[in-house]
Amino acid sequence: MAQTRRDFLKKTAALSAASYVGVHLPFDGTALAGTEEGITWHPGTCRLCGSGCRLELGVKKGEPVGLRGIPGARTNFGYLCMKGMLFWKCMRHPDRLTTPLYREKKTDPFRKISWDQALDIAAARFADAVRQHGNDSVAYYGSGQALTEETYLFQKIMRGGLQTNNVEGNPRLCMASAVGGYLTSFGADEPIGGYADMEKATCFFIIGSNTAEAHPVLFRRIMRRKLDNPEVKVINADPRLSQTSRIADKHLQFRPGTDLALLNGMANVIMEEKLYDQNFLSTYATFRQGKEKKEVSLDDYRKFVAGYTPEKVAGICGGNITADDIRQVARWFATATGTVSLWTMGINQRKRGVWANNLIHNLHILTGQLLKEGADSLSLTGQPNACGGVREGGGLCHILPGHRLVKKEKLRNQVEDAWGIPRGRIPPKPGYHTMAMFSAVNDGRIKAIWINCTSPAQSLPNCDHYNKGLAREDVFIVCTDIFPTRTTEYANLVLPTAFHFEKTGVYGCTERRSQLTRKAIDPPGDARPEVWIVREWAARLADRMKDPVISQCIKPFSGLDASYDLPRAIWTEYTQKVTKGRDNDLRGATYEVLARMADGVQWPALDEKYALTGGTTKKFVKGKDPLATIHSQNDLPYQFYGPAHPDRKLWVWLRPQADPEEMPDAGYPFYLSTGRIIDHWHTMSMTGRVPELLRANPYAYVEINPRDARRLGISPGDMVEVRSRRGVNLLPAKVYEGPVEGMVFVYWHDQEESRMINKVTKDAFDPGSKEPEFKICAATVRRVSGPRPLKPFLVRG
Amino acid sequence: MNRRKFLRRVPAWAAILLAWPVSLRAGILASPVATNRLRPPGAVPEDLFAGRCIRCGRCVEVCPYHAITLLDIRAGVFAGTPLIAVEQIPCTLCMKCVQVCPTGTLARIGQEQTRMGLAVINRFTCLAWSGKTLCRTCYDKCPFKNRAIVLDRLKPVIREDTCTGCGLCTHACPVTDDLGLKAVNIEPIYAHAE
Repeated sequence: MAQTRRDFLKKTAALSAASYVGVHLPFDGTALAGTEEGITWHPGTCRLCGSGCRLELGVKKGEPVGLRGIPGARTNFGYLCMKGMLFWKCMRHPDRLTTPLYREKKTDPFRKISWDQALDIAAARFADAVRQHGNDSVAYYGSGQALTEETYLFQKIMRGGLQTNNVEGNPRLCMASAVGGYLTSFGADEPIGGYADMEKATCFFIIGSNTAEAHPVLFRRIMRRKLDNPEVKVINADPRLSQTSRIADKHLQFRPGTDLALLNGMANVIMEEKLYDQNFLSTYATFRQGKEKKEVSLDDYRKFVAGYTPEKVAGICGGNITADDIRQVARWFATATGTVSLWTMGINQRKRGVWANNLIHNLHILTGQLLKEGADSLSLTGQPNACGGVREGGGLCHILPGHRLVKKEKLRNQVEDAWGIPRGRIPPKPGYHTMAMFSAVNDGRIKAIWINCTSPAQSLPNCDHYNKGLAREDVFIVCTDIFPTRTTEYANLVLPTAFHFEKTGVYGCTERRSQLTRKAIDPPGDARPEVWIVREWAARLADRMKDPVISQCIKPFSGLDASYDLPRAIWTEYTQKVTKGRDNDLRGATYEVLARMADGVQWPALDEKYALTGGTTKKFVKGKDPLATIHSQNDLPYQFYGPAHPDRKLWVWLRPQADPEEMPDAGYPFYLSTGRIIDHWHTMSMTGRVPELLRANPYAYVEINPRDARRLGISPGDMVEVRSRRGVNLLPAKVYEGPVEGMVFVYWHDQEESRMINKVTKDAFDPGSKEPEFKICAATVRRVSGPRPLKPFLVRG
Repeated sequence: MNRRKFLRRVPAWAAILLAWPVSLRAGILASPVATNRLRPPGAVPEDLFAGRCIRCGRCVEVCPYHAITLLDIRAGVFAGTPLIAVEQIPCTLCMKCVQVCPTGTLARIGQEQTRMGLAVINRFTCLAWSGKTLCRTCYDKCPFKNRAIVLDRLKPVIREDTCTGCGLCTHACPVTDDLGLKAVNIEPIYAHAE
């Protein structure tokens, strides 16, 4: 072990100092013992959730041997969760896809083919579809896990090359409502602050997020803050008592679907008790109402929230909530020196997800808990590159890269000019959003679809309904993935791709931070990076369709080495040409700068010198955000410049309580909600292949409140049928004081047919954000039998 | 075989047992109960177990999770008695076995009175204690959440007054050391109690 006397003394001193103040540093004797000879460590970003933890992959003789955190990173300070520490074990899993697979009919078995044949088939089928059925008969469905370079290149070929805006991605299922919320309230997408506010906050308002399980490393920061400063208040609002509730000073357990009333009730207290910041409101905010965004006055708003007295709201919310609880948390929220709100799917996956987002932002705008240190309205993302790749990189049907709306001609022309393609090439009409896209697959309007790095056959709500479309023989499906999934079972062509650390690219996490991961090992077999696949496919498309514009789309990238030069060229084009002058200006975040940072760069970062400081920690604050300084029109400390608000102000919205699409009734008396567990991630294709994680949670179960269980005669471990109007699951019961009475909770990772809860969930969606209401539907619960031994299940291809 | 024949053979068996090499004799008489090798819930003290249990196998049959296994001839005089290897399949505390035991070898107790053993955390191999990662798998899997295992500054701590020794934590623990032990193991400390 290479360790000098000096190193040893330094570490000893650090450790004694740390133990003296009660901190546990993430390096220690055992970790040091792990630094044996022959292992090289390659920095990168975690492949799993949206926290953006930085870590290093240990490589010995070209094979991965472990992962460890990077202590200098401002996202995780060296801490990792179990998933983050263990995901390297799926890299060399025998189930990895290693050669292109093809079948003419979906009932046939797959046969192995060469890359040449595979790309020819893909190009031929897409070209035929465009020729025979028009440009909108082809579609791309991507992922918040694809690298920014991949999403950007895919959407470039689809929009510029095939002239369709049918570019979507699974972030529609997870954070479209947050985008809508930020745009309508602040005028610009993505949070104003970041994680650094957690260390300065004195009040946390966590609603609709089980941070402890879904974002464990961020939860550590909240917990650390609370433990060091017991006077810090943590408020958790959730119909289910979760692991996050454990550190809460107040847990508000409301009936599912009454969150909008609860948030308006808090606003009522703030208005009644004059806890709002009059100065901040009159300088920076206006009040808005309705679809036509009509401007109203503070008095109108006061009258509106007067209808949500704490007493009335407590009645609507049910559960354990009293009027005094609502008053108490509103006071904590308003009077803290800094309040940070955190939410995820519980708020976003709602019929009125955008409204729920608006109402959280309202509380921050009213009380001025925004823009200052330790205060932020922070929507957590669930995927590592939902923010960076899809929100910023143009991965949704209505947006172009750089936060540009498709329907604005000026913005389309900017992109067309940057790409060097004729103006008018990008069609003006937005494409199908996710639910419309899969409905179009069902109707046969889409003839060829490319599904990249995601598994809609398991992750769409009411998935049985949409899987009928995926099974149609006249719909040609290409899947690019690393493992067989429920979706590859419907594919005609399966293309094996390189995994994280087997290719180079950038991930952008929750707090506007872009981070680079460089290739450290070779992909197994004949798996290739997506950027290579798209470039080669596009070259063949250009030949087949005799379209020079498609060639133009890939011209800057031809001949480049796919492991580094190609993604670098794509990133350079995207940042230097396309984000220039936009609010997510990334011109300073070049590969060279990103490679020098322990973590990454938070945009806006206009030049390299500024980017090397880490970028912008607070948007809109003059002196901290270079764009705010540039846009500045007066002497006030803050300047808003969001493209969606021409008046350059924050908007407080009047949004009424709205019930979920489907409410429990006599036939289906329970609320059904779904969520995540700490050991697994999404459709489990990666975490299910890590033995340690699978053993801890081998299959899904249904959580039932003990009082409901007693009424239904359900004992722990009994097999229980969960049925809705759409589908049925058979799950073991966990009788647990978690969900509120009248609600059951199922986690959605399991791939086994009878335990895939998205067969049961409802596919209603938010009319604004088009995000489906996964979190609430009506179900009935029935005991089927006593406990049965169950086996974990993964699709093996 | 009638009673008379059986009794007549007893001295012969005793003689065989005495003539058995001493080293093997210890194996025949040694209790199989050890770290992570536990009797089902409500078991009488180990000294009495072999004498009380009639090897009917009903507890094995009723266990819905196949956690209880029947020991075979290699267990010597303990052959035919039930045992749970918690790191393989832990006890889910469904308490079905104690209901069917005909002899009271497994006393009819409730979940919370069960004392199959006590979970003990090895702070050197535990990922949370050794500071390697934010693991709290045992805490999450414990059926008496926040009672039998609590978190002290994100590190798991066992509360011996509540831990039943069911082994759900042992089974889920992601660490397996060279000896096949987990970072949290069940020690059968009550098996030899008075």
